[in-house]
Amino acid sequence: MTETLLDIVQQLMNGIMYGAFYALVGIGFTLFFGVMKKFNLAYGSTIMAGIYLGLIPLNLWKQPMWVVFVTCVAGAVVVGFVVEFACFRYLRKGHELAPMMTTIGMLILIEDAVVIATHAAPFEYPNIFGDESFELGPFLIRPDYLAILIAGVVFVVLLYLLVNRTTFGRAMRAVAENPAVSQLLGVSVTRTNTLTFALTSALGGATGYLVAMTFGALQPGIATWMTIKGLVVIVIGGLGSIPGAIFAGLLLGVVEFQALWFLGISYRDIFAFLLLFAFLVLRPSGLMGKAA
Amino acid sequence: MDYYVAVLSIIGMHILLGLSVYVVAITGQLSFGQQGFYAIGAYLAGIGTALWGIHLLPAVLLGMTAAGVMGFLVGFPALRVKGLYLGVATFGFGEIVRLVFLNVRYTKTIGGKLVGPNGAEGFRHVSYIYDRGFTQAQYLAVIYTAVIIVAGFVYFLERSKLGARFRAVEEDEVAAAMAGINVTAVKVFAFTLGGFVAGLGGALFVHYSTYIDHQMVTLPLAVSSVIYPMLGGLGSFWGAILGAALLIFLTEGLRFLQEFRLVVYGALIILTMLFRPRGIIDEAMVLRVRAFLRRQVAPSA
Amino acid sequence: MRNIVVGSVILTWFLMLSPAAVSAFQEEGTLRVGGMWALSGPAAYIGKSSKGLSALAIDEINEAGGVAIQGKRVKLAMSVYDDACKAEEGLTVVRRLADSDKVLFSLGPTCSNVAEPVFGTLQKRLGDATDTGLQFLFFTDTAIKFGLAKISPWAFRNVGNEPAMFELAFKLVKERHPELKTVAVAYESDFAHSVSTWKGATKPALEKYGYQVLDIVEWRFEDVEFGAQVTKLRKANADILVMMTHTFSTCGAVKEFKRQRVKAKLMVGITSSASTETMVGCGQAVEGMIIPTNFATINPKAKAVAEKAWAKYKADSNLHSVPAYENLYAIKGIVEKVGIKNEPATLLQDRRKVRDALATLGTFQGVIGPIKMNGDNDPVKPRDVDKAIILVQAKNAQWTVWWQPPEMEKK
Repeated sequence: MTETLLDIVQQLMNGIMYGAFYALVGIGFTLFFGVMKKFNLAYGSTIMAGIYLGLIPLNLWKQPMWVVFVTCVAGAVVVGFVVEFACFRYLRKGHELAPMMTTIGMLILIEDAVVIATHAAPFEYPNIFGDESFELGPFLIRPDYLAILIAGVVFVVLLYLLVNRTTFGRAMRAVAENPAVSQLLGVSVTRTNTLTFALTSALGGATGYLVAMTFGALQPGIATWMTIKGLVVIVIGGLGSIPGAIFAGLLLGVVEFQALWFLGISYRDIFAFLLLFAFLVLRPSGLMGKAA
Repeated sequence: MDYYVAVLSIIGMHILLGLSVYVVAITGQLSFGQQGFYAIGAYLAGIGTALWGIHLLPAVLLGMTAAGVMGFLVGFPALRVKGLYLGVATFGFGEIVRLVFLNVRYTKTIGGKLVGPNGAEGFRHVSYIYDRGFTQAQYLAVIYTAVIIVAGFVYFLERSKLGARFRAVEEDEVAAAMAGINVTAVKVFAFTLGGFVAGLGGALFVHYSTYIDHQMVTLPLAVSSVIYPMLGGLGSFWGAILGAALLIFLTEGLRFLQEFRLVVYGALIILTMLFRPRGIIDEAMVLRVRAFLRRQVAPSA
Repeated sequence: MRNIVVGSVILTWFLMLSPAAVSAFQEEGTLRVGGMWALSGPAAYIGKSSKGLSALAIDEINEAGGVAIQGKRVKLAMSVYDDACKAEEGLTVVRRLADSDKVLFSLGPTCSNVAEPVFGTLQKRLGDATDTGLQFLFFTDTAIKFGLAKISPWAFRNVGNEPAMFELAFKLVKERHPELKTVAVAYESDFAHSVSTWKGATKPALEKYGYQVLDIVEWRFEDVEFGAQVTKLRKANADILVMMTHTFSTCGAVKEFKRQRVKAKLMVGITSSASTETMVGCGQAVEGMIIPTNFATINPKAKAVAEKAWAKYKADSNLHSVPAYENLYAIKGIVEKVGIKNEPATLLQDRRKVRDALATLGTFQGVIGPIKMNGDNDPVKPRDVDKAIILVQAKNAQWTVWWQPPEMEKK
């Protein structure tokens, strides 16, 4: 009995830490939708591209990890601009589904471009948090997962400060509320959108850097994987809501890890979607979202 | 010759998939889960011919009906959600179907071979048409008979009052409800119809390829099925047909590019959406074509 | 304006579909061969290596003067296509190779789930006019699932025999390490090769040599998180860890072993992992893993092939890719011996001649040793080969030979 209890708590801790990663990805998606009212389905591939770009200083120029971090973030921002330019800037208004399709096209393009560039070979990211889990009583904690949780908290706090205490943050909130009126009041909607893009991509790059270390070997398929997880998180949490994304991400992590431990791999995936359906049935606009 | 027949066959089955997304899309619901119905149609029709020894037509009808019933069942919860939520929810449905088939094991030993859905190892030896000496060309005729029947049905649907109701619901649900349209009935009917059509496509596919497994009905198929009508155009059912044909021609025509294919594929989707957000055959073009045809019929104003 | 652009793009697509110019092959001095492999998608790293090794063979053969047909020396020309490890793509590609590019035979496919339906569309009864299956010859280098060549008399394979490989592996492990008695197993529950190898090859071998299976865990081919499964393996505390998993997830899992301080006395891996990619992906972490394979650089020829393939094509030489090289040489030998006409009109007869010769080939020379092709009448594995099994072990991020057949010692 205590064994089961210990297992529950262990998987709960793992689930919360991993859920922080899901939450961060979800926050990125939800920022796009909240401010720009558009779906950026290429976000996952932006993160993945940032990670792979980080391999260049790592393997070719043998740079230390902080250089890799900067490259991940900067790389993601650059790729983010490419996405913005190709998929959003010249899109005519009024067709809400078109950005979804262009970003799907971009997702396919970027994923294949990375496969070509890397010859589909696996690469590894050295784990700056060490290769061993440390013990906390009867539990094992992965230092890299803990780092993601801590980083997640830090990012969310910084984001909160940015959104609520800076002029730019006020501009973001204004544009999210009502772009037409904001424009009238002197807020440059295009500039706000572009900066939001950059900010979200940077967040993605930083998240990518941290999560890449947790992988055994990098594969381009993580782009699609992150996209699906991110979408599930924002649907559960509510489009446009950052607290919703946080809670939903953590919840998803917890449910997945518990389901995997007690029921096995098949049920892990099924339960993740059942959780999704449960929310759609009970709270169709998500935990904290406005009605879509 | 055989190569072109093969390409046309694949196009035919994908047209059905595209049409199934289309009929649901014109009520304003974008479903990323039609591949789930495709899978149900494929597995059940395959079980019909390979395990239960029934003939092709009843097996296909079985697959279609199972998928249609599933469509009906999915249509109700789908009422509660819209937009991206619906897209993610339907994708989730498609994934659950796929995961169920990943775990289903229902095999019999027939003629010395293990036949039947076998979990991750797939469902093989659905060799009905090859056992009976169908030629590629004959099966192509079967596929396109199905396509023509479905396309014809959709053609008449679009011209009917029900078709108008579909479009009304897409345009503005509240207004449609106020005008006396039973929005629930329309949307659920659309999902049911979409299920039937996708199930038909799957049932035909499994006999063409003799094999189906869970990896064949996952995200890339979901994305393709939505891209066909979106690229081809949501103005008319011809859009889904055009989209499927174009994209499969693209896949084949770019084969010489080998691994660069997907990069070009993605770029083309982006470019088409930038130039024509409602697809190539969008509503504007449909109106123009209709006006043009009317002028031909009555040249003197 | 836009419509003109769209229209011309569509026209270009139609044109691209047209087949390669069909002149008399012998006239233009080429012998056409084909290859269909997974060049994109998760199995791309395997397919690309096969492509590279085939390109090496073609270069070598062409540089040495080509193939002698009807008194003339013709060069090999290869049409390569990507099937992305998807059955649907395979079904159209095979027809393109057979009808449009009119190749004599094809290498590949990489994935067993593509080979299954593609072989299913081939003719089943030779010479039977009522059998409308495709009359097209495959000489496979990679798709390894047991029994695929049985599907059609036009399907031949030069691939490993996994049941025999794992039987030998555990026999030797039992001999060299009799103190190891318990195992725990991990496999990818959504990847056909993993599932069928575990069920058809590894499980019977473990049973035969009396190993006790303490636990079996599963994950997905593309999974990146293995904590729960590894914790279960840690609790099982088995002597041997049997990893029927492919490179990406193997790397993830073995790193998790280190994290959770799971220390097996021995690890046994799936055949496909014996490649350079695994070393690049997680060299140190798989230290000590033993894998049965059919290729290692145990003689100068093998070393030379491996070095050239890497230098010229960045292609790894392993049990999946080297057969592509071997098969081309084998077909060259057959073509020169039976004499084909190499003309479009005689394509079907030429394919049939080569097919029949391949069925009665007997033994041919592979890179590390002789390979025996079983004929049509073999009761268990028709048109599959018997060849030497080598066991390799990961040492210092290199695959070193742990055991090789006695007749191959001291070369």
